[in-house]
This record gives sequence, C-alpha cells and structure tokens, in this order.
Amino acid sequence: MDKSKTAREQASDKLYYLVRIAILLSVVFLFVPALNPSRICGLINKNLSLFTSGIAYNTLTADFGRAFKKGWVLKSSMQILYASSLAICLGIAANAASGCMSLGNIKFKKLGNLIAVIGSIVELAGMAGIYVAYGQVALTEKPKKVEPMFPGSFWFVAVIFALILITTIIQIVLLAKSEKEEKFEMETRFKLFLMFLPFIALVAVFSYLPLWGWRYAFFDYKVGDTLSMEKFVGLKWFKELIKNPATVRDIVNVLKNTLAMSGIGIATSWLPMAFAIFLCEMKNMKFRRFVQTFTTVPNFISWVLVYAIAFCIFSTDGFLSSFLVNLGVWDEGKNLLMDGSHTWLKMWAWGTWKGIGWSAIIYIAAISGIDQQLYEAATVDGAGRFQKMWNITVPSLIPTFFVLLLMAVANILSNGMDQYLVFKNSTNTTSIMVLDLYVYELGIGKGSIPLTTVVSMLKSIISVVLLFGANGISKLIRGESII
Amino acid sequence: MAKTAQEKADLRAEKLYKKTHKRKYRLKPGDIIFEVINYLIFGLFTLACIFPFYYLFINTISDNDMVLKGTINFIPRGIHLGNYTALLNVSDLSSAFLVSVARTILGTALMVVASALIGYLVTKQEMWGRKFWYRFLVITMYFNAGIIPVFLNMQMLGLTNSFWVYIIPGIVAPYNIILVKTYIESIPGELEESAAIDGATYMTIFRRIIWPLSKPILATIAIFGAVGHWNSFTDSLIYMQSAPNLYTLQHRLYIYLNQASNLKSLMQSGGSVSDAAIQSALSGKIIKYTISMVTVIPILLVYPFLQRYFEEGIMLGAVKG
Repeated sequence: MDKSKTAREQASDKLYYLVRIAILLSVVFLFVPALNPSRICGLINKNLSLFTSGIAYNTLTADFGRAFKKGWVLKSSMQILYASSLAICLGIAANAASGCMSLGNIKFKKLGNLIAVIGSIVELAGMAGIYVAYGQVALTEKPKKVEPMFPGSFWFVAVIFALILITTIIQIVLLAKSEKEEKFEMETRFKLFLMFLPFIALVAVFSYLPLWGWRYAFFDYKVGDTLSMEKFVGLKWFKELIKNPATVRDIVNVLKNTLAMSGIGIATSWLPMAFAIFLCEMKNMKFRRFVQTFTTVPNFISWVLVYAIAFCIFSTDGFLSSFLVNLGVWDEGKNLLMDGSHTWLKMWAWGTWKGIGWSAIIYIAAISGIDQQLYEAATVDGAGRFQKMWNITVPSLIPTFFVLLLMAVANILSNGMDQYLVFKNSTNTTSIMVLDLYVYELGIGKGSIPLTTVVSMLKSIISVVLLFGANGISKLIRGESII
Repeated sequence: MAKTAQEKADLRAEKLYKKTHKRKYRLKPGDIIFEVINYLIFGLFTLACIFPFYYLFINTISDNDMVLKGTINFIPRGIHLGNYTALLNVSDLSSAFLVSVARTILGTALMVVASALIGYLVTKQEMWGRKFWYRFLVITMYFNAGIIPVFLNMQMLGLTNSFWVYIIPGIVAPYNIILVKTYIESIPGELEESAAIDGATYMTIFRRIIWPLSKPILATIAIFGAVGHWNSFTDSLIYMQSAPNLYTLQHRLYIYLNQASNLKSLMQSGGSVSDAAIQSALSGKIIKYTISMVTVIPILLVYPFLQRYFEEGIMLGAVKG
C-alpha cells in the first residue's frame, strides 16, 4: 500500500502531522492556567485553567460576589464567558477524538475530519463569545476593582483553532473517496497505541510536567505571584545556597543529619540478613512462623501509627512511665519522646523495629533456596553451626545483600520525611531535620519556593547520578544491572 | 486396624522416649545455650512487636478512670466499648474515615485495572512505538522532580484541595506495571493465539484470558496499593491545606496526637457531647489511643489472612531485582 501512495495522499499524511500537533497544543493549553484565554479580568483566579472555567461556573465566579451585587459586572457576561469556555472545552474534546481517528483508514479519517470541522467551528464561536464577554466587562464602572484585561493568549489560541479548521478543510479536499462498503478500520499498531494513550498522558502530566516547575529555581517567586521575565534572576538562588551564611549553616546541618542517618542505616544493613540466618536456625516451624508473622506487621503501619505506638509506650502517661512508677522505680512519669539526645540512634531503632522483619523475608527465601547437600557435606566434614553459617549461608546471601546495599547507597539522600516529621519536636529539631523534611518545611511551610526548588533539583540530579553510579558498579562487579 | 488403648499408650511412650533421648545425646551444651539465647531473643523481639498493639487495645476497652491512673498495664479491666461509640460523635473523624476508605477502594481499584491493562498492552509487540512508550513510563521510577515542583504542578492542574489528588496521580504505578508485565509474559502465548483465531479482540482477550489468569499478581499489587493508600499521610498534609474536610484518617490521627491534652473543645463541634462519661472518655490520652486503634485495626485484621500475598509480592520484586 505504501508504494502506491499518490502525491496527494503523501501531502495529506504530512498535513496530518501538523493537525495532530495543533490539536495536542490545544489540549495542553486547556489545562495550563497561564494560557487561559478566558481570563478576561483580574477577578478571575489566576490559577484557573480554561478547563475549570468551562466546567465549574461556581469556581469561575468565586470572587464575583461583590461585583455582581454592586452591578460592576453583569451576570449575563459571565454566563456568556462560561458558555463560551464550555464550548471550547467540547470543541477541543471533539478535536482530540478526530486526532485519534486520523490514525484509522479513510472512512475513519473522513468522520474525523467532519468532527474536527464542527469542533473547531464550535471553538471559534467560543472564542467570539469570550471576545463579546470581554467587551461587556471592559465597560465596567469600576475598572480598578474588576481589572478588565485582554487575555494575552487570546490570539495565539484563536490562531491555533483557525489553523485546525483550515488544515482540516484542506484534508477533506485531499482525501480520496472511500468505497461505500468499507468499514471503520484501524491498523492494529495504532489501535493498541490509542488504548495506551490515556496512560501516557497521565504519566506525562504527573511525572514529566513537574520538571517544567524547575524553572521556578531561576525566578524570584512568592506564592500567588505570576512568573514574568522581569523576575528572572538567573542563578541567584544557587548562589544563595552557597553564600548566604544562614542558609549554608542550615544546609550543612541538614546534610549532616541526612548522611548520618542514612549512614547508620547502611552500616547496619546486614542486620536483616543476620535476622534471617538466625531465624532459620530455629527448628520449631510453628514458632518460626509466629515470629515471622508478627515481626513483619510493623512494616505495614504508617509512620504516624508508629509515632502513636511510641506515644503510648514512652510518653508521660504511657506504658513505661506508669509501669515504672507503679513499681516505684520512678517517682513520676517521664516523657522520653521529648528527650533530644541520641536522636539519630533512636530514629534508626524505630526504623529497624518497623522494617527488619520485612527486610528479612527476602533473605529467608534465599536461604530456603540453598542446596541442603552443602550443609550435609559440611556436617560430615565436621563443620560446626557457626562455620556452616559463615561459610555456606552468608556467601549465598551476599549477592542479594549487595544489590540492596547498592540501592541503599543510591537512596542516601532520600530518607523520606514521614518518620522525621512525626517524631520531630522542640527538643530534637536540629538533629532530626533531614533533607526531605527541610525542603517540605521551607517550601510548603514558609513559602520559600525558589530556594527549595533549587534544593529539590540538585537532590534529584544527585540521586539519579548515584543510581546510575551504583548500577555501573553492579555491572562491573556482578555483570548484572540493578535497575 | 484397631488398636487398643494400651497399645496406643505404649507407642506414644516409645516415641517420647526416642525423641527425648535423641535430643539428649545429640545436643551439646553449646547448642543448648545457642538455642535458648536464639529463642529468647526472637521471642523478646516478637513481643516488642506485638505488645504495643495489645497495650493500646486494652487501654481503649478498659475502664477509663483506671486507664487515666495508669493502672492498666497488662490485663484489661472493666471492659466497655464506650470510647469507640463516643468517637462516632466526632464529625471530623468520621469524615476522615470515609475519605480514607474511599481513596483506598477507588485508588486501589483504578490502579489495579490500569496496571493490568498497561501490563497487557506493553507485551504486545505490534504496538506502535511500544519500546519507546514503555521506557517513557518505566523511567519515571528513577527520577522525581522533587516535592515542591510536584506541588506547584498539582496546584497548576487545580488538584490541590481536591479529593482527586489522592487518586489520579497514583493510577499509573510503574513498579506494579513491571510486575504485571513480567507475570503476563509467563502466560503461554498459545492461549491468546487460539482466542485470536476465534476472532477475539484485544479487549476480549484481556477480559477473558489475561485478567483471570493474572489474578494472583493483581491480588498482590492490590494489597500493596491498598496498604499504601490507607497509610498515606503526606499527600493529605501537603495538598489539603485549605480543605480540612478531605484530610485522611492518618492525617487526623497526626493532628490529634499533637494536640494538647484537652480535646473537649474539639468535641463540641462534633455535636451533642453532654454526657459526662463520654466527656471523660474523650479526654486526651484515651482519645489518642482509640483513634490510633481505629486506624490500625484494618491493617491488623487484614494482615494475617493476606500475609501470603505480601510475601509473594516482595519475592516478585526480588526476581526483578
């Protein structure tokens, strides 16, 4: 079929790429607030996307209570705006559908073109509606309060819609007639791709789009501001990270905590292996099963609940205090959670309590896979219990251990924030503050967006480098990759 | 063959004799010491894992005055369920409970269906750009824009202070997709082929063959997903800053744990709390314990029955390395 394509069909195929890109663009700005063509006055929330303004009238007019009451803005103009936005949303949906249909056979393409024409006409009508609404709002008595403004993206969006309309009409002219009995058909590879497309979109939006947020690292930005080129500050925040003494002190302290706690974790990462080895020395299967079941439970409760457990055992009126007071050892209850000493070790202990049973499972499974004949042979040769452990069990567990160790090294900067957040209190703040928690408190709590974006960015990059480094080492030593 | 009671007893005695004597002769003193210490350490650690839950539990069902005096340490006394019924009066708790249940069910269901479908689709060699899209998806496991850029992204999408932020970002879970894909690849291809010859479409094959056959792995990822949703706490903390009615149960628990000892003022918002007994029940420590218990019960109830799936899950992960 490819060979028999006429020049006409080839032109049509090429033109379709243009249409698809235009449609993709229109879908993108449906969700990007900065490109919302329906933001015709300052009263409309800056963070509102075209999609939201076309779906939720109440959100669109959330700040208009006073303006409506005093008659600054007519309700009807906002209704026009809402209807227009809705029309654009529907039009874009139609266009998206037609874009998918353009992957099918000629009959599919024809239907798609029809839908695209209708869709883009609806869109352009919507744009006209927005223009009308703007004309009405601009006549307001109180321009200072209402702040009418012509949406900056208006013409850009309108041009794209017009482009879709024109190219689709050309397509209709270019397309050959389909035979009457032809059915709607699509090549399998595109059919499968279209089934996959929604998920690709989700990944793009939630995993790749945030990378676009890294631009905040180069701007002077406060919560609620808009980004404009005037606020571009280049590498100011990167320099701040190295030069501002207060920030440097914070960062050094935070890194010290992060590396220390990760370091303790890595230094004791052999514990689950030891746990598994000694557990497997127990001959009583019932008891073994019992231990295994109950030591894995803590892994499945959240850190908040771990803190709740800590609270019920170690707080002023918790188990330990009331037990020791009843015995007469202590005169009164003590709140051990409010004690700021040895924080690193305590955090390690909680992490171990929560995780060791679970981490051991993988080793237990590995141990049960070891050939029993090795042990029998060793017994015949007169090896003792510990000799067998050290010379048979441990070497067969080392590969697993090595992989987990490398992963731990790759994650050295990411100890998560849940644990440290819940255990944080006034006495241990300085020694519990890890990188993730610091970023959270500074960014979300204090609204220092650019600086924390810089830190997030550096952390992400270092983590990826570490991961690939670890992978390289693994390949070098074991000839196997870990990712 | 029937045996008389006497014969049976003899047999048993003989067995016992053999057993004990075998032990006696085989075990060296060093072994005995090792065994004792080994059992002791594991026993103690297991106790350390169970006891806090038990302690929490007996303190929520025992007589409140005794609990407040700190006399309930090992044995529950004056058992009643008043604390649990009193919690029903606290409206923000019941809403948090509903939010947590809703996100656990909906989030897990969508994640499982999506993982199964994606896992199936990426095994199809004939898909357009299969390798590229699969990598596009899986590579997201290894990088992360960071908490602040992600937050700003959610804000831009209008997902902050919305229930959907719990659900939608979690639908595509790359790690689970890898697990499902690996599993589906182990299903004999002939099954699919014969169905295709009979004219089944991809969706039919997915529904009738792939879905039923991959149930074991789907059960595993469902359980991990559900536990993750139930335990999730930071997303509520970060994204729900001005929507307290959408806090998850874990987030509520965190707030209660950090509250000063007297919570009565909070209770008033929950409606009619006039009964003095209920008021005392809701005082500081006990309400913290009771909410903790409510939050942990689902996990404790579910875990023993589903332990097998949990363990299978970690082993599947290990195979992938």
